[in-house]
Formats: sequence, structure tokens, C-alpha cells
Amino acid sequence: MTPATESRPRREIPWFEARVPRVHGDFTWVYLWGAPLRVMHWVSVFSIITLVVTGLYIGQPYFMAGGEASSHFLMGRFRFAHFLAAAIIVMAAIVRVYWLFVGNVYERWPALFPVTPRNLRNVWLVLKSYFTMRLEKQPHFVGHNPLAQLAYTTIYFVTAAMIVTGFSMYGQAAPGGFFDTIFGWLPPLVGGLQRVRLIHHTLLWVYPMFVLIHVYLAIRADSVEHAGGVSSILTGGRFVSSHDTFEDFNIHDQPSEPWKSKHH
Amino acid sequence: MFVRNAEPWMDGSSLGEHLEETGVSRRSFLEFCTEMAVILGLGSAAAPSVAKALESQARPTVIWLEMQECTGCVESTLRTEAPTIGNLLLDVVSLDYSETLMAAAGHAAEKAKADAMAKNKGKYVLVVTGSVPTKEDGMYCTVAGRTIRQHLEEAAEGAAAIIALGACAHWGSVQAARPNPTGAVGVRDIIKNKPIVNIAGCPPIGDVVTATVVHFLTFGRLPAVDREGRPLFAYGNRIHDQCSRRAHFDAGQYVESFDDEGARKGWCLYEMGCKGPATYSPCPIVQWNQRTNWPIGAGHPCIGCTEPYFWDTMAPFYNRLPNVSGFGVEHRIDTIGASLAVGAAAGVAAHATMTVMHQIRRRKAHQTPDSGSTSGEERNNG
Ligand code: HEM
Ligand code: SF4
Repeated sequence: MTPATESRPRREIPWFEARVPRVHGDFTWVYLWGAPLRVMHWVSVFSIITLVVTGLYIGQPYFMAGGEASSHFLMGRFRFAHFLAAAIIVMAAIVRVYWLFVGNVYERWPALFPVTPRNLRNVWLVLKSYFTMRLEKQPHFVGHNPLAQLAYTTIYFVTAAMIVTGFSMYGQAAPGGFFDTIFGWLPPLVGGLQRVRLIHHTLLWVYPMFVLIHVYLAIRADSVEHAGGVSSILTGGRFVSSHDTFEDFNIHDQPSEPWKSKHH
Repeated sequence: MFVRNAEPWMDGSSLGEHLEETGVSRRSFLEFCTEMAVILGLGSAAAPSVAKALESQARPTVIWLEMQECTGCVESTLRTEAPTIGNLLLDVVSLDYSETLMAAAGHAAEKAKADAMAKNKGKYVLVVTGSVPTKEDGMYCTVAGRTIRQHLEEAAEGAAAIIALGACAHWGSVQAARPNPTGAVGVRDIIKNKPIVNIAGCPPIGDVVTATVVHFLTFGRLPAVDREGRPLFAYGNRIHDQCSRRAHFDAGQYVESFDDEGARKGWCLYEMGCKGPATYSPCPIVQWNQRTNWPIGAGHPCIGCTEPYFWDTMAPFYNRLPNVSGFGVEHRIDTIGASLAVGAAAGVAAHATMTVMHQIRRRKAHQTPDSGSTSGEERNNG
């Protein structure tokens, strides 16, 4: 979240979207999320679902195979799916990290840490309005409100922890190998391989809770505020009215006909 | 190879001469060398070189210090297949000081040790079992009126290399488990300036000890070790990756109680708390008691005794994951996680209900023809 609205650099609009008219009467289409970020988001959704489901089986094999071992590969398949989804989420993470440095102002790394006094006050105001239902007291944001942003930042760090603990366990099968060399420092640091396993297993439970609350709040914001945030993760942006005032956005910073202006 | 104890290995004669004197056949000696070469990962082709190196060895000196321990390591090492470690260390290598094995006692024993150390300064191998108590100036373990720490420091001074035998000698094992009343530590916490090899296990397998000694005699140095100081030839692989029950793990076939169908069929012990997936040890291959069997082979989950501080880090032995304390009763993490997730779902449901009720109330209050539409003002207010 960016604190000051005055000195914001012009929003970048990619060439393939630059020709679409952006102003419809009172409404302006604001481009928030670059294509890499949106792709990363949905790739992560699918891999995280896979990782949680297969991870739960690895942690507690809740059904079994009868008969001869030679005719089954149940755990083998679950682990394979887990490691495949792990590789995919690592790729998504790499894209996201790259985008932290080249993305727009809503995507760049400073946006992950809304910790200015004004932002922290807004965290409090958002929290208060969630609990009191006083929606009219809630500050408005084009991007994420700082409370939501803090939740997403947390999920990024939790996922980083899952990747590090996961690959540290993965490396155990080949001591001295690639993953063991890169992630082998972890077990001694946290007090042994079992501790790594426990951390990996415990952090799983962050995801169901996060998904529940995240999806709920996104849908709620859309149906109560009619803000269009849900579709923004598909289309990349949302319409804002020139009558609205936002904490993180000033309509007058927008070029009135951005598709005519030289982008970038 | 069986070596009778009757003929002690005299100073000055080589191992080859000594074996000849004792009447050990060339064949059984070569068998032994082949076995050692294989355990060391050198391959059976290396057996002649091992034999050649061993034959020409002069009698080395070994001092064996038993500190705060249970003697289980000595018991285990005596059960090496061929030659038994008793033979290897008493006759082949010769032990100048070992409280459990030597005949001498009292002042004579202490004198033998002092003499051996003085005479072979800088050359002898020091084998250590047990941990060193550090609390109360180490008074929890004393021998001949001095603390074991003093004995250790003195013996380590002139040692060429130190073999830390067993979990106690490297990590303090059960004595160092929380709350560690004697302040027990391993040798490496006291002695910093000598090469130390960590023969991990509670106790370790006898053959691994023998092979390490053979390595030292053959190459004149300790074997290559891993991050924890354990010889790679023995501790280079996870139990889980060498386990005879692994096919059942991959298939998804698990023992759920010690008397169920799966247990009878020899299924995987994962759900019984097996620590094989976190433990490096040659147990599945080298096995125990003359290759009779090993814990998982006998139907008991691995407790991870070759891993650092295993009494604390691998507990509870019959659960896959460590307990999470601080929640009153000790719960499985899944119970806690699932409760939190259900709590979150309930919170979301409650909040959604309140939001809907609130919206309905607001709409009723604003009953105008325009209500429900998204005029700018309406949206702006929420
Ligand atoms: C959202 C991310 C993830 C979730 C929710 C998740 C969940 C889990 C869970 C619950 C377990 C069982 C732990 C146990 O009780 O022993 C597990 C095991 C494991 N996970 Fe993940 N995981 C995630 C990401 C990853 C990643 C990125 C890797 C990287 C390779 C990974 C590698 C592993 C490995 C190696 C195991 C142990 C499986 C075995 O060898 O038996 N995980 N995971
Ligand atoms: S018994 Fe233990 S070591 Fe063997 S396959 Fe099962 S979990 Fe792994």
C-alpha cells in the first residue's frame, strides 16, 4: 500500500490492454494487478490445494491399500503429487519475487509492508469496521486495505517457510545432494529433523484458515461495497467512481485517456 | 574369524605375525578383510589392500575410557561378528585400558593406563563411551579420586584420534535429556583440538566400530564423516530409504496397532511413530547380533537413536510428530489445527450472518425507489 498519493508514478498499462477505453462517464478503470501476478495467484491456488490435500495424507494416511504391496503405489502417488505441486509453487514464488521488483506500485515489495503510522491507523479502522459493521467508517482502498495486505504478506512468508522446510525434508533422501546442501542448515537450527517436520505440518493449518477468511472477505467486500475486487484478480483491474475517495489512489493522477498516452 | 584370547599380541610383532602365532588361517583373515572392505564401502576388490595394510601393522595402543554410561556400548561392540570386538580390540588391536574388559584393577589399572599413555604419546587411539557431567565440578562421575573430565582431558592430550562411541559420548544421550540434572555433555564439547569420530547409536552396531578401527589402521586416519561427525560409510543413508518395509510405505500399507493384521503382514511402521524417515543409520543393512535382525525387522518402530539428542528430539517414540505442549493436555497438532480451522469457519459464518442482517436493516431504513442500486453515494457509504 502506498501512503502518499501525490507523487505517485504513472500506472503502467501493458500494451495488450492499453487500447481498451478506460473512462466510462464517471468511472475509470484502474489497472492493479499485472498478468504475472494474476497467473501466479491462480497457479498458487491449485498447487496449495494439492499440497494441503496430499500433505494431510502424508501426515496421516487416512486410508490404506489391501493386498500385495507390489500392486499399489498409494503413498507414492500422494508424495509425487505433493512434490510436483511443490515444484510448481516454487516457480510461482520465483515469478512473484521477480515481480516484487518490476511490478507496479501495488505489486512492488514496499507494498508488502504497510507499516507507516497512517497505514497502521487504517489497519485499526478496518478492524473496527469489521467488528462493528460500521461500513461507512471504513477507509477505502483501490488495492488491498492494509489489514488484508498484512494477511497476504503473512501468507507469502508462511509459503516461504513451507518451501524451506519442505525442501529440507526432501533433501534428506540424498545427503550431500543439491537440496540437502542448500537447505541442510535448517534442521540443526530448529532442533532436529522432527522439529522441521512439525513446523511443516503445523503451518499447513494456516492455509485452510486463510482461504476461508480471504475468500469470505473478498466476496463480502464485493457484495457490500460493490468494489469489483473479485474480478480484479481475473481482469487485472476495477472501475472506480470519481466520486469516491481512496487512501491509496487519486483519480486525478490518472491520465484521462491513458490509452492515448505513451505507456510506461 | 575367531581369535583365541590365549595369545596376547606382543609389542614389536606385526599383526600378520601375531595371527600366524595364534593359528588364524589366511582364508578367514581374508574373509574378515573382505567383509570390512565391503562395510567401509571400498568394495570387495579392496580386500587384498586392506589385508596388506592390516598385516604389517604393529600393535597399536587403545585406551578405552568409560564415563557416565550404562556399558551397553561395550556389550554391543562385543557382539561384532568376526572377529568379535573383544577379539579385535583385546588381541588384534589390544586394549591397554578398559574398565569393563581389563583384568587389572585399582592402582595397577591406573598405572597401566598412565604407562601406556606416556609410552605412546601422540599415537594411541582413545575410545570414549559415556558423557561428561559438568555440574558441581563434575563430581557426578569420578574414577580413582578424580573427575572423569580430568581423565578425559588427560587422555585426549596424547591421543592421535578419538572415537566417541555411542550417543552419550557425542550428545550426552539419556543423561543429557531434559532436564539434564548432571549437566552431561559429549566429548566434543570438552575436547576441541583432536579429530573425533562419532559412532552414533544407543548403542551403535559393533561392526561399525570394528570397521572404523580397521579404517584407521588401514589408512592411518579416521573415515570421512557427515555433518554430525558420523562416518559416511555407515551413516550415509536414511533408514527409511534402505528399509525392508519401504515397499509397504509406498504402497500405503501401515501397521495401526502392534497386534493388527498389518503387523502380522510386516507392513510399514510409519503410523506407529517410526523415526526411520529422520534417521541415518546402517541398521537395515548391517543389522544386529551377527546379522540376526534389527528393530524394524522385528516389528518395532525406529526410535532414531543415531540422531542428535534423540531422547528429546525423537520423543514421543510412538508418535510420528513431537507433542505440542502448552494446550493443557498434550494434543496432536492436527487436533489443534482442525479446531482452529473450524473456529475460523464458525467465525466467518457468524460474521457473514451479521453482515447480511446489517445490510437488510440498512436497506429497510433506506426504503426509497432507488434502494438496492449502486448509486455513487450508496457505494461510497458501503
Ligand atoms: C502449501 C504448502 C505445503 C503444505 C500445506 C504441505 C503440507 C505437508 C504436510 C502436512 C506434510 C506431512 C508432514 C508430516 O506429518 O510428516 C508434508 C510432508 C512433506 N512435504 Fe509438504 N507441504 C507444502 C509444501 C511443500 C513444499 C514446497 C515442499 C518441497 C519439496 C514439500 C515437501 C514435503 C516433504 C518432503 C514432505 C515429507 C514427505 C515424505 O517424505 O514422507 N512440501 N507436507
Ligand atoms: S518402517 Fe519406518 S523406516 Fe521402514 S518404511 Fe516404514 S516408516 Fe520408513
